[in-house]
Amino acid sequence: MRVTRREFLRLAALTAATAAVQACSPVYRQLAGDPILPAGWHSISGNWTFSVLNRLTFGARLEERQLAEQIGLAGWIEEQLSPNALDDSATDWRVRAFDSLHMTADELDGWEKRDVIAELKQATILRQVYSKRQLYEIMVEFWSDHFNIAITKGLVWMLKTVDDREVIRANALGNFGDLLRASAHSPAMLIYLDNQANHKDHPNENYARELMELHSLGVDGGYTQEDVMELARCLTGWSVKKHFWPGEFTFNTDVHDMNEKVFLGRDIRPEGIGEGEFALEILAAHPSTAQHIAQKLVRRFVSDQPMEEAGWLVERAANAFQSTNGDIQAVLRVVLLDGLAAMSEIPSPKFKRPLHYVASALRLMNAESDGSLALHEALSLMGQPSFQWPTPDGPPDTSSAWLGNLLPRWQFSLELTQNQLAKTYIDWENLLAISGAQDPAELADLLGVLLLGSPLPETGRDDLLRDFESSGVKEMNEIAPILAAGLLASPNFQYR
Amino acid sequence: MNKILTRKEFLQAAAAVPYAIRWPAWIPRLSFAPEKTDPKGDVLVVIFLRGAADALNMVVPHGEQAYYRARPTLAIPRPDDSRAALNQRALDLDGFFGFHPGMASLLPSWQEGQLAIIHACGAPDESRSHFKAMELMERGLSDEHGPASGWIGRHLAVHHTNNPSPLRAIGLGSMVPLSLQGPVPATAMQSIVDFHLGGDERAARQFQSAMHSLYLPSDELGIIGRETLNILDTLEKLDPSDYQPANQATYPQSEFGVGLRQIAMLVKAQVGLEVATLDLGGWDTHFAQGSTSGLMTGLIQNLSEGLSAFHADLHDHMGSLTVVVMSEFGRRVQENASLGTDHGHGGLMMLMGGNVSGGQILGAWPGVGDGQLFGPGDLAVTTDYRDVLGEVLKKRLGNPNLDSIFPDFRVRTHGFLQEN
Repeated sequence: MRVTRREFLRLAALTAATAAVQACSPVYRQLAGDPILPAGWHSISGNWTFSVLNRLTFGARLEERQLAEQIGLAGWIEEQLSPNALDDSATDWRVRAFDSLHMTADELDGWEKRDVIAELKQATILRQVYSKRQLYEIMVEFWSDHFNIAITKGLVWMLKTVDDREVIRANALGNFGDLLRASAHSPAMLIYLDNQANHKDHPNENYARELMELHSLGVDGGYTQEDVMELARCLTGWSVKKHFWPGEFTFNTDVHDMNEKVFLGRDIRPEGIGEGEFALEILAAHPSTAQHIAQKLVRRFVSDQPMEEAGWLVERAANAFQSTNGDIQAVLRVVLLDGLAAMSEIPSPKFKRPLHYVASALRLMNAESDGSLALHEALSLMGQPSFQWPTPDGPPDTSSAWLGNLLPRWQFSLELTQNQLAKTYIDWENLLAISGAQDPAELADLLGVLLLGSPLPETGRDDLLRDFESSGVKEMNEIAPILAAGLLASPNFQYR
Repeated sequence: MNKILTRKEFLQAAAAVPYAIRWPAWIPRLSFAPEKTDPKGDVLVVIFLRGAADALNMVVPHGEQAYYRARPTLAIPRPDDSRAALNQRALDLDGFFGFHPGMASLLPSWQEGQLAIIHACGAPDESRSHFKAMELMERGLSDEHGPASGWIGRHLAVHHTNNPSPLRAIGLGSMVPLSLQGPVPATAMQSIVDFHLGGDERAARQFQSAMHSLYLPSDELGIIGRETLNILDTLEKLDPSDYQPANQATYPQSEFGVGLRQIAMLVKAQVGLEVATLDLGGWDTHFAQGSTSGLMTGLIQNLSEGLSAFHADLHDHMGSLTVVVMSEFGRRVQENASLGTDHGHGGLMMLMGGNVSGGQILGAWPGVGDGQLFGPGDLAVTTDYRDVLGEVLKKRLGNPNLDSIFPDFRVRTHGFLQEN
């Protein structure tokens, strides 16, 4: 029955989505509760707002820019920090057919691997593109990177769906200690980092090391090789069930090392699973963890070089982390309200990572998409395959790592604007009508506002249009897609 | 890029979109012309085995009892171990070391003297962290203090070959590795065959023209954009889909094999390639590593078959080519309980080319017995990886400026390679 219902729903959704993609009918948009692209683009100024919002969203839509101008950036951020108060039923509607998102490992057991993976990838990018809870989705991405898991290993392909829901999404704006504990109990993580094979006779250090290096203290957080080995011993037996509810967390007493341990200078008495829980408490409360997380958040939202460019902010965020015992919202308030939104100078621009690039292109072009394969293929070519970053450090969050691979972005902007990506569609007729552009020059200005936050400089704009005209591109409906492709591929659109 | 922009500057930068359609299509690579021209030297291919490859099971010290004691299930049987099938035994090289049987395809280049192994080789870093070790190794440093750029990036920056090619340095894959990052822009390329703009031809042409006016060679990204356009032009003239390897060389169908095949094509096409990097991942074998079959054997075969095909295909070019294979560190001597190995210290490097001191195991062997191990039970490092890289740069690429490439390390020359 379950399968039949699921298939029925998926078919229904596919039909609806196809119809919508083809017709892009306003009726569908109203049904989905989507805002229709506002008119009067000229009146939307606020370059500063645009720059800041591009760090808080997957690309600032016009309506978000309007709202932030009205209520102020601080007000906008506060709204986003209470995501559940924001009606996001339209996004729920878009992902409603993906049954696997709500299932336990046991329920997923009978599923096809490719279906489970496809639903997770689709749902994730749909939420990033369409959700009104943008800051929440940004933080979901942040923690997914921080606790990176590649679905290519073992049963992780189905366990990551559970991890995404119960570890990452459940705690993205909650408490860091809860998040760390949830991750340590997550079967996907335990398999990805081999802790299910961590045995008292010969401990497997993989998870213990990354738990300290990547998830909590940071590589210079003051631990030694001995601490790695002792923590691995504390975590012997933290494993995943193979029978009766396979894919659930289990503590396997038989393989747990019941000898005394010394971890980060603390004596750990033998008490089974409690040793690991105690170690997690130590890690969550450690000042190095506060510093590490604060630094990563400042890197994400403010600067590629957090210590050099905003060391004071890292320090304040780390203090907030410690004084609130890891309240993520409290730390974010410092980073965003005291930091980003209040800065008199914005530090050097950040190069968009591929996911941000793709999502922002779809968002600002008001594209209609079902989030399926074509987008994920493009992301792989750009270097950020969805849920397949192979190493536990997650995709880098610094500009220099991504600079050298422009061509896949250019290819994507051309395909997107020419409506050559499968299941993704830009309604040019509608877009041109809403823009109200009367001539190519006005169109260029408006697209500049839409995509880059301000009109193009006049000389550059006229040169571009003359170039188009000389090669026979004269009609508005032909100019618009190529112009948009050029702007999406331009240096400015690569930055956030 | 490291400069702090004021808010005003940032906004200006954000608003300062396209001017100057007037720029010519071909812009000189960098605005400053080098004063002298350095010799071009060998083409350098750097292969990074990501995840810390287990050197001890690749080039096996079969003369060591201690190796077999430490690895009751994972050890590669001795060449004369009659209990193991012939194709499961180490391939003897010198009576003490032997190749993993999955490396059989490399024997011809070894016997020809064009393949050398530097064993017990590695970095001083003891973090046993993949990410820290890789970062330091790619930056060519002993610790975090020092330039943020990569060692190859700095080599390119101080070695003025006056080579205007946009293909001077490429990273095969979807990202430019840290080793290649620096003042000279390098390009990441996943596939040469797919390196073009698709779709409607007129739109693509128009788009390409727009890119010329939007990417101005006045900042880092602008230069990279220009590079991308130049590579599009260069590759348009080649016909990569029609490439036929020489000497019946057969590359593995893997991403690694395809990558090497593309590098070979660029070498033969003489498009100005000086350095190419290529990654092969998956070596973090904590779990179910396998001995002569399984996870690691597959990786070893992929590596070996790719390298041997590359060697055969470019046999006539080996006199002006050097391949380096490296990994961030080696693995613990003692196997763990999950049929794998944990992070260790010393590893190995490989050198391939017409001028390497091949057919021998180079570097001092520290042993893996009691009292010979390093830290928690790891192979010691007797040769710093920068001694190898430094000698390659100096002798084969004609770059003597090793102090600016490895600022916190003094390179010693061991005779791993010959000069012309």
